[in-house]
Amino acid sequence: MIESSFNSSDKKVVLVSSSDENHPPENIIDGNTQTFWMSTGMFPQEFIIRFAEATGIAAVTVDSYNVKHLKIEKNNSPNVSHFESVTEKDFERTEGHLQSNVISLNVNSATHLRFIVTSGDKGCGPGCCGQSLWMKVLRDLQT
Amino acid sequence: MVKLRARCLLAGDAAVGKSSLSHIFYSDGSLFQKNYSMTTGVELLVKSVSIPETNDTVELYILDTPGKDTLVDGCEKMWGEPSLLCLVFDLTNEQSFVNCGGWMERVRAHCQGLHVPGVLVGNKSDLSARREVQASVAREWAQSQGLEYHETSAKEMENCDAPLLSLALAFHSLYQEHRENIQNLSPG
Repeated sequence: MIESSFNSSDKKVVLVSSSDENHPPENIIDGNTQTFWMSTGMFPQEFIIRFAEATGIAAVTVDSYNVKHLKIEKNNSPNVSHFESVTEKDFERTEGHLQSNVISLNVNSATHLRFIVTSGDKGCGPGCCGQSLWMKVLRDLQT
Repeated sequence: MVKLRARCLLAGDAAVGKSSLSHIFYSDGSLFQKNYSMTTGVELLVKSVSIPETNDTVELYILDTPGKDTLVDGCEKMWGEPSLLCLVFDLTNEQSFVNCGGWMERVRAHCQGLHVPGVLVGNKSDLSARREVQASVAREWAQSQGLEYHETSAKEMENCDAPLLSLALAFHSLYQEHRENIQNLSPG
């Protein structure tokens, strides 16, 4: 198993449900923990990553904040449609530091991965009911 | 430029003017329904508000919900997790003001213990001769609940934008605050 860094040349974000132009979705896959994408209100929020070619993915590391529940789906089509569920996970709430989760996918081949945040955390700063979150996919582990 | 989205719950007793207010706001003051038609389901009105001195907008998803007791239980599950609250009472009906306490409790149960920015709106300010709730009393109670107080007349289209504009501003500043928190996070 080779660990490959998640650089943006072989993958790109093709859909995002919301964004702030100062924190665009490309930040999710730029491999830099200092940059981030932030959703701008309400749930669910999602983004879809397209790979240059069908790719096997054993696991994905997700650094995030205020994510409560994440669903991951995949497809093997050139189009952004007909996704099937891969896994879902509840994230532990953190205060003042990132949530870092390695999520096992065991996907043999996928052209798109879809990440859906169905709900945000209670601890999302003073006064907000989970209107924003930050997420970054740092690297995948290729089989 | 950023476009924010907020779920704004409109709550309060029946016939205080929630639907009138939301329609005046939604239609920029061109629509005041003269006949009363009780809201029996949840109506969704989406309105974009520009934040002054920025290129940002807040899209308010206003949920106009029934105030009638028998309908509240059925519709409450559609409240979801509100990001903003607009609580309305009738200035000429003291009971509708007293009941605001009960509304706050109901709303809090949906907010998982978090503070939700909100406004208290005393509507029907045009009926000054029939006023039963003094502004000072309402303002004091609003402060104790962390709400900003506004008085409006949907009929005269007076001040109707103010409560929702102030909610949009509150949501915008919450977003800025939240973004700063995120920028200062340490790695997991």
